[in-house]
Parts: sequence; C-alpha cells; structure tokens
Amino acid sequence: MIRQTILCCGFLVVLVCGLLVSPAAAQQDETVCIQCHGGLPDALGVPVGEWRQSLHADNGISCHDCHGGDPTDFAMAMSPERGFLGAPDYTAVPEFCGRCHVGVLGDYQESAHGQALQAGGAQCVMCHGNHAVQKASLDLINPESCARCHDYERADKIKGILADTDGKIIAMEEELARLGKLGMAVEAFEGQLFDLRNRFHRAFHTVKEARVREQTGEVLAGLETLRAGVDEIDAGLGQRKLWGGVAIALLVLAGILFLQMRKTYEEDEKG
Amino acid sequence: MSPLKMLVDFLDVRLGVRDIFAKEVSGYLLPRRVNAWYTLGAVLLTLFGLQIFTGILLLVYYVPHADLAFASVQAIVNDVPFGWLIRMLHAVGANVIVIALLLHMLSVLFMAAYKGRREFTWLSGFVLFNLTMGLCLTGYLLPWSQLSFWATTVATDTPGAIPVVGDFLVEFLRGGATVGNQTLGRFFALHVVGMPLILLGLIGFHLFCVKRRGISTPPFGEDYLADELLPFFEHEEHPAGIPFFPNYVVKDAAVICFFLAFLLAIIFYLPGLFFPPSAFEPADPFVTPPGIKPEWYFLWAYQTLKIFPSEIIGLGVQGAFMTFLALLPFIDRGRERRPAKRPVFVTCYVLGILLFVAISIWGHYS
Repeated sequence: MIRQTILCCGFLVVLVCGLLVSPAAAQQDETVCIQCHGGLPDALGVPVGEWRQSLHADNGISCHDCHGGDPTDFAMAMSPERGFLGAPDYTAVPEFCGRCHVGVLGDYQESAHGQALQAGGAQCVMCHGNHAVQKASLDLINPESCARCHDYERADKIKGILADTDGKIIAMEEELARLGKLGMAVEAFEGQLFDLRNRFHRAFHTVKEARVREQTGEVLAGLETLRAGVDEIDAGLGQRKLWGGVAIALLVLAGILFLQMRKTYEEDEKG
Repeated sequence: MSPLKMLVDFLDVRLGVRDIFAKEVSGYLLPRRVNAWYTLGAVLLTLFGLQIFTGILLLVYYVPHADLAFASVQAIVNDVPFGWLIRMLHAVGANVIVIALLLHMLSVLFMAAYKGRREFTWLSGFVLFNLTMGLCLTGYLLPWSQLSFWATTVATDTPGAIPVVGDFLVEFLRGGATVGNQTLGRFFALHVVGMPLILLGLIGFHLFCVKRRGISTPPFGEDYLADELLPFFEHEEHPAGIPFFPNYVVKDAAVICFFLAFLLAIIFYLPGLFFPPSAFEPADPFVTPPGIKPEWYFLWAYQTLKIFPSEIIGLGVQGAFMTFLALLPFIDRGRERRPAKRPVFVTCYVLGILLFVAISIWGHYS
C-alpha cells in the first residue's frame, strides 16, 4: 500500500515537473489578410509569399500598414469604412510610400525622377519592387535598371561617390550587431547610424551629384564619431579578456596546487 | 594570541565547536577509494552559493515589470560597475549548474549509489534536479527579452495539450491568456523566493540523507563488498577510510577551482555561447523571432514533443521516462553495484546518454 502511494505521488510530481519544463512549437498569429490571400492563386496570392521574404515583414510591417483595412475582421477587412485603400495608381505610389518614408519623398519630388512622374518617370517600386521590397543597397543602381529609362553614365558616377561610404556604413552595422550580441548597449549608436544611413540614402534620391557629395561628407564625419565609440567599447572588452585570462589562470593554478596537496595526503594514507 | 584563535576559543567554550569539527569534519571518514566524481556535490554547493550571491546583487537593480525589466537588465550590464560580470556569472552559472547536476546524477547512476537504502537521497536529488530546471525556466523570463518572452510562451503553452484541464493549466501558469506582466510577476516571485526556499530545504534534506546513511563506497576494486541490507537502520561507517578534512577537501577544492575556471572561460571568451541574438532584443508580443528554441537542456523534451503525432503522447512518454528515473531505486532492487557485473544496465545507460545527445542535436537543428 505504501509503495503504491509512493509510486502514485512520484508519478504525479514527475508528470507536473515534466509538463512545466516541456516546450512546444510556436504558432505565429497572422492577420486575416494573410490567412485569406495566402491561399489564393496567382496575382491575389503571390504578394503574400513575396512579402514574407521582404524587409517589411522582417520589421513587422504588414498588409494593412500600407493598404489599410481591418486585419482582424474577415468581413470588413477590405471595407473603405475601416480605412481600406487598395492598390495605388502608378503616379500615386510616391505619396503612398511617402506616408512613412517622409524624408525620401521630399527629396524624390525635387529630383528629376519626381519631376517626370506624370510623364512616366521612375517611382519607388520601379527600383525597390513592391511586396518583395528589400533593404536598400547600392546594387539597386545598375545598368539594367537605370538603362530602362536613360543613360547609365550619370547614375554610375553617383554610385561611385556613394560606394566607399556605403561600405563603411555596412561595416559599422556589422560592428554594432557584433557588440549587440555581447549585450553592449549600442541602441544609441544604432539610432545614430540609422539616422546617418537614412540621410545617406535620401541623398541619392535627389540624383544631384553636388548634393550627394555634400551629404556623404557629413555622413562620413558621423561615422568617424561612431567609430570612436565602438573602439572605446572594444578596448574595454579587451581589458576584460585580459583580466579574465588572469583569473582563469589563477584558478587552474590553484586547482593544480590542491591536487598536489591531495597527492601528499595519498602518500600519507598509504603509509 | 591571534584574533582567530581568540574567536575560536570564544565559540568553543560556548558551543563546543572544536568537538563538532573533530567529529563531523576532520573525524568524518570517507571510503578509501572515493574518487573525483564524489566532488560534484561540493561543486554544486559552491555553484548554488554563487547563484544566491549573484542573484541577491542582481535584485538590487532588477525591476520586475514588463515595461522596465529589459531596460533594468541592460542598465545592470552596461551601467552598474561589474554588473555585466554579476549577470554573466548568474546566467552562465545556471548552465554550468545543469552540466554539474547531469554529471552528478550520471555518476550516481553508473556507480548505482542509489542502492543500499538510499532511496530518499536519490529522490531528494531527483526533485532538486527538477527544481533547478524550474529555476532555470522561471529565470529565463526575467530579462524580458524576445528570447525570454517567446521561450516562455512556448513552454507555458505545452500543458494546453492535456485534455479537460489543459487550458486552465496554461492560464494558471501565465496568470492570464497570454504571457504578460502578470506572468513576469509570478515567475519572479517563484524564482527569487518560492523555489530557492524549497531548494535550500531540499539541499539540507539531501545532505542529511547523505550524512545519516553514510557515503556509499565506490563499487570498484577487489576489496569491494556489496552493502548488507539489515532489517533495521544502520549508518554506513568507513573505519579504515580517509578524513574528510583536510584529505578530501583539497580534492573538492581542486575540482571547484576547475569548474570556476570553466565558468569564467565561457564568460570571458565565449560570452555568446548561451545567448542567441534574440536574448538582446526587448520582448515584443507582436513579432515572433524565427527559429526560437529552448535552452540546450530542454531540447530533448522539445524534440520529443515533435516526434510523436500528438503532444499528449509526447508528454506521456516524457512523464513515463521521468517517473521511471525517479523511482529507479524502488525498481532496481538487486544488490549488485559493480558496472562490470551489470551489463544490461550499463548498455541502457550508454544508449540513454547517446539518445539524449542525439535527440538534443536533432532538436537544435530541426
């Protein structure tokens, strides 16, 4: 009887412990837009797959953030009453994207691209794509893309000015990510870099060589300040490693000494 | 007269401390063949002590609120002098404790040290192991990072698979429908007060069992004799043994030093070993990070749930395995302890370890 009771109690305790420590696969909540369009064929379903691979998806920007509507209600999801906008016309795209990308919109509208919009000039999705939008990089400026409308020579010149700074920005992003993975407080630095990168990317949208040169100089100066901050953190981490190495060596040495002491006791024990 | 001698004299005339020391420390004899595996108890005591010490220091600055927890941990790591070291000793120390616990349990299993009327010692140790897992789980949420939040969401979701009471259990664990401030509050209370109090009590009981029944003799060597099970209580004496102090304490101290060196080596040279990038992002209930996985010691359980067609079967298998392990001293009643004379057990033991490692690796890459 006692054994049975112990067995039952033991089973219950262990089962509860097991339940407490057992994780399961996570399920991501999805909006009704994705649930519905994800299962649709062709043009109605393709954007979901493209969006999943996009920078917007990585940053939690979902369908309704651009197209409006109610992402929680199947029946009213595409109702204008709930702010549904649908897909914009070709010429309305800059204003559509510019609701979030405010600074870029201003520069774009002043540029030759923006001025030629009504005549079929380039707008956002022509270079960046729409649902599969990726992080902006200099690769977007290439002969195949630019030559669709005009000669590549001027674009190539601007790309040349941007290239070195772009590399430094990417390198700084990697540096900050490395420090972030070590738990360093780099949010302020990341904020500054975000600002610098935006100013840098905005510069191109003017498509004016002089403006790009001026803006790039300011960005480089900002990057130098960030570099000094990163170097300071790295110096601190280097010192930690040095002192850590000393502490480890002392502990190992102490361990070996204790083992040697144990050996002397073992000799006494044999005697 | 030295101040230390004065203090000892002062205590001795009032409490008889020299007598206690002579009987319980320098006069406490251990089996002559006692090996390095026996030091893991002292290692664990040291590591638990370190957890309590660093935990108290972290409590000075930690704020158990969903809006402030992440920022407070960031401040500890970046602003408080040596806060990063305290935090790392606590977080990495928890992983090293699990390693030491596993080694301790495996050595006890291999040497069948749970035999010879040591059921209470094994059971209290087994509950201590599970309690440590609980402390790891509750502590995992406290930094309120993406990793904390989603790992806890996944872990507390599991009991939902149990018929009838599943939903109630999930809500009971979380304090609401989802992981939130109320979950943080109850996990915090459990982590810093509830579980440590039980842990300390259980450690005391475990040590009492070890001391009262007597240390088991390692089942090796030609002069080894199996325990004689008498129908009454008997303390296992080792009259020809070696003194605990100083003879064996130096070995304890050596292994403790090596474990601490191992802990510091991870902290200083592999600081990201137990911290994926999501551990440094504040919790966001609206964004599920890709590939969220539990800590390495829960991977076997995580993968087991995925192997079976339904979670309830996976939970049943885990429950059955843990129950078997807990009740092993009641099931394995033979007197033989020498591994060479127990080929079936040793085969199961080795296969069990390989299975644990294989399923964990599978869970990591699945």
